[in-house]
Amino acid sequence: MNKVLCSVATRGRYHTTLPLVLNAIINQTRLPDKLVIFDDNDEPKDMRQEMIYQYFFQMLDIKKIPWEWVYAEKKGQHHIHQKANEMGFDWVWRVDDDAIPEPDVLGNLLGYTTIENIGAIGGSILTPPLKFDTSKSTGKVSDIDKEPNIQWNYIKQSKEVEHLHCSFLYRAGVHDYNLGLSRVAHREETLFTYGLYLKGYKIIVAPHAITWHFKNPEGGIRSESKQELYSHDETIFRNTIGFSDSTIVVLNAGAGDHIVFSHILPEISNPVIFTCYPEIVAGKSIAEANALFGDLDQYNIYKKMAQWNWKGSLEDAYRKLYL
Amino acid sequence: MIIISPFAKKLANNMENPKNYAYWEELIQIIPKDIQIVQVGVEGEKQLVHEFYKNLPISELRQLIAKCHTWIGCDSFFQHLAWDCGKPGIVLWSVSDPLIYGHPENTNLLKSRDYLANNQFLWWDFTEYNADAFVKPEEVIKYL
Repeated sequence: MNKVLCSVATRGRYHTTLPLVLNAIINQTRLPDKLVIFDDNDEPKDMRQEMIYQYFFQMLDIKKIPWEWVYAEKKGQHHIHQKANEMGFDWVWRVDDDAIPEPDVLGNLLGYTTIENIGAIGGSILTPPLKFDTSKSTGKVSDIDKEPNIQWNYIKQSKEVEHLHCSFLYRAGVHDYNLGLSRVAHREETLFTYGLYLKGYKIIVAPHAITWHFKNPEGGIRSESKQELYSHDETIFRNTIGFSDSTIVVLNAGAGDHIVFSHILPEISNPVIFTCYPEIVAGKSIAEANALFGDLDQYNIYKKMAQWNWKGSLEDAYRKLYL
Repeated sequence: MIIISPFAKKLANNMENPKNYAYWEELIQIIPKDIQIVQVGVEGEKQLVHEFYKNLPISELRQLIAKCHTWIGCDSFFQHLAWDCGKPGIVLWSVSDPLIYGHPENTNLLKSRDYLANNQFLWWDFTEYNADAFVKPEEVIKYL
């Protein structure tokens, strides 16, 4: 099964790049199985009143692409992407509202989904004029401060990397977005794709999947000027990559749960543990985890079991979460 | 000596925890009188037998478990601790699912899966107490 949800988060671009993006999605050679547009505008409008959008909505109906226009919660695009992540599709193709894919992008990205344990695939994200030499870029998180992003120029051949940028196709429901980031959600896609990588999924950049990024300083899902929000998110990002050689374990649960977890602890490689009951499972405090990573929901075993519609044992649920 | 651990964690809304076994007094009445029963729990819980150890540190609970013949409890911390100690006992289930939260080494007595809460992953504050959901003491005593 390869059911694909195309998800677009938008803010402040009703009449600039969003129509170009929607037109490009509607004209893909491989159409998505559903399109959802998350409208995060401060003053959202009913776009059914706008002529261009009326045509878009009719084209979607004619091409039999189910679509949904969702008024988002103004918490930032990470919350939006998490919603898309949980909508029950096999794959989510996230497309930024200023990133215009060429017609064959989705089809080409989907071609890589047969690779074993693939987690996400991204193509070139090109902003004219092309000024970055990416020929030596590794795509490793450890090089993120030293090299231009490998997606910022033509990709000659497919390559395994550790993180992706902007718009990409990803396996849905296997990793959560970090909801502890601020509204600007700085580094959200890097954290998300790197999280997939740390879970053992392959992250690939692919040739022949070109998206034109019409960067616009006005509007956009990240249109916030408060520097402290960026600093907050950057701190979470740095803390997360600082633990990249370890398995972060957050036991934000009951005492009995800690005991059950302790039975899988020997199987976890290089664990760094944050615990409510250090007398049962030794570790640092939950408050420290909160300060380091912002969002601990991704470690909430009860939330995960609910998300997985879990029927097995608690011990096996911990195994699924951490191994 | 057997240990009883009658009560699950107190709920934030002060309602009766739906995992608390409904018939402890009746069950204790029919346990043979020559068996010493020791209750463990925390301050504020109802005392059901003469020997009641409250708020024991985990290390002392482990020592007590090591000395007991077996134990009877509800779905709470104690069933996990005793399992960790390698001491099988009887767990009296109602709304939580033994296939998720139980251990096959124990005797898990569930009256019917029809009584299980639809959502097993919420706080138990949202689940109503139902005494009918538990097996009766006469059934429990067969397994002791």
